[in-house]
Amino acid sequence: MIAQTEYSKEKKVGEGTYAVVYVGTKQSNERRIAIKEIKTSGFKDGLDMSAIREVKYLQEMQHVNVIELIDVFMAQSNLNLVLEFLPADLEMIIKDTSILFTQADIKSWLLMTLRGVHHCHRNFILHRDLKPNNLLLAPDGQLKLADFGLARNMGSPQEFLTSNVVTRWYRAPELLFGARHYTGAVDIWSVGIIFAELMLRIPYLPGKDDVDQIDVTFRALGTPTDRDWPEISTFGTYNKIQVYPPPSREELRRRFIAATENALDVMSGMLTMNPHKRLSPIQCLTSEYFVELPEPTIPSELPKLKQK
Amino acid sequence: MTAKVKEEPIGDKPVSSSLRITDDDLYRHSTQYRNWSFTPERLDQIRTEVNASAGSKAEKTLKQFLESHPELSREEEEAVASKAVPVTTHEELLLVNYFARMIISFAGKMNLPTEVAATAVAFFRRFFLSNSVMDIPPKEVFHTTLFFACKTENYFIGVESFAKKAKTTTDAILKHEFKLLESLNFTLMNHHPYKALHGFFLDIQNVLSGRVDMKYMGQVYTNCKKSISDALLTDAVYFYTPPQITLAILLMEDEALMMRYMQLKFGLQPDNGDGSGQSSQDSEQVSSNGINASKLLEVIKSCRSVINNKIIPAKDDAVKITAKIHYCQNPMAVIDRLKRQRESSSIASTPQPVETDSKRQKT
Repeated sequence: MIAQTEYSKEKKVGEGTYAVVYVGTKQSNERRIAIKEIKTSGFKDGLDMSAIREVKYLQEMQHVNVIELIDVFMAQSNLNLVLEFLPADLEMIIKDTSILFTQADIKSWLLMTLRGVHHCHRNFILHRDLKPNNLLLAPDGQLKLADFGLARNMGSPQEFLTSNVVTRWYRAPELLFGARHYTGAVDIWSVGIIFAELMLRIPYLPGKDDVDQIDVTFRALGTPTDRDWPEISTFGTYNKIQVYPPPSREELRRRFIAATENALDVMSGMLTMNPHKRLSPIQCLTSEYFVELPEPTIPSELPKLKQK
Repeated sequence: MTAKVKEEPIGDKPVSSSLRITDDDLYRHSTQYRNWSFTPERLDQIRTEVNASAGSKAEKTLKQFLESHPELSREEEEAVASKAVPVTTHEELLLVNYFARMIISFAGKMNLPTEVAATAVAFFRRFFLSNSVMDIPPKEVFHTTLFFACKTENYFIGVESFAKKAKTTTDAILKHEFKLLESLNFTLMNHHPYKALHGFFLDIQNVLSGRVDMKYMGQVYTNCKKSISDALLTDAVYFYTPPQITLAILLMEDEALMMRYMQLKFGLQPDNGDGSGQSSQDSEQVSSNGINASKLLEVIKSCRSVINNKIIPAKDDAVKITAKIHYCQNPMAVIDRLKRQRESSSIASTPQPVETDSKRQKT
């Protein structure tokens, strides 16, 4: 009951189906915080799965690139998650045409994203909903992975997972095919798409529906063949899809005009069709792209949203 | 919620290879380590405190009861004093273990995955590190922990179908869900030894390649999996890490095999025949994977003795303890029982079986 008075709720900033978000202050140190108040009434199965996942996984992770869960408390039979206050997200930055950003800025955001993803994966946690909207930005410029409502432990080999995860545009090909076994490679695919979106300033593969997403994905990146992905023919839907040739390097260069060869290598590595061959977070983090100039922008010097 | 470990956030800065984050570092950041690992002394202290606080509350209730019922005869007062006795720390432990054991068999009957059952047991036992069986009867949170474990382990079953399968009501299942979450300090991740077992199972075959029979290893694996479920009912889970527990279980299953494995894997020196196992000079030896083999063996052996020290409470004990709790909460029940006994003996002059009342109490 200390917690109730320790944190003030000052302004409602969002309301979803299962939670209301407030900004407030932690009284003891004046720290700005966000409180996610999870609605509990109206859920006949008790505590909601998304809320459980969020609490479960955030409690395990302390990392500069993962949103900090400061505290959890119960009040009036509602579950309250006290989170660090993160006023912006990457989607807002991408969409704000008045903001210009450089290749060094993109590199910095990608670096922080990959560090966060690496931390999840080494803790055997899959995020399963990476998108610009879930990459939040702290006032000091640090990028933080947020929204662990779809996260889960990496499956053991015999376990079945649901393929109905990740927001459509960021969904890896194995998920589009309905795979019941998958790995951290699904998160890396999402990061690859986010990387492309940062360079293009528009969503890279905006499918209109699940069927269209398959078409859009393979039209841009080529339909995988069983030569580079032998297991592909085990997916029932594979035989029904249109076959597109993969893009040539030249076509990629034309699409991503400012990208260096190393940048294209990392992006293509993350957007490899066969999940076994897709780059791991460590491979990305240790790639030439992060060694070559320009150096990633220091987080505090990254472009910010204009103050309203 | 307990304060988070405030230290250098891992992975923030580029580190040289010697400073790489190891799996042990990651485990030390887990809530299982930070919140739910104790020294034996600390664990004893926690249990004693929980019991003492609930016990004194029960004493107070009894005192108030006797004060507000001056009409009771001396015989009745004595009956209350002898039947309504707050339970001891040891009795609490017996009762919790009795129900924890039942969770495993119940989960088996419901065909729930092993990990779900293991998590339910962990939740249930942790719940009674901050609540006394005198305050919340174990059978009231029995289904709650299992249902909640299904959700946290991503094995969702709707509360209605769960209630139907478990032959209880949805209200009974959900009644203490918040209390459970709060008692768990909002920490829900569990690392069980089953994954470690699978890892060692594969590694033993690799390290002792050609020298172990595959079919035999399969048998070892199956036996160990069962032994792990048993070990989860002991305090080993609070004192040791999942891989340590797994190694202890493997050692119990086939000591010769494990000694050979540990010699090859961790550079453990073979037993020099005097029974001491290690000569003092090599006790500090550290193998190429950074593990001090003799230290490891020592830890595993002490873990083994904790696992061997398991408590298997008899049903009778559970019934007796439950009756005590019932009488503490309802001292009037002692009087009613006494009256009924008197009446029936005066009518039929055949005394009722003494157990009747406590049996009605049983789960």
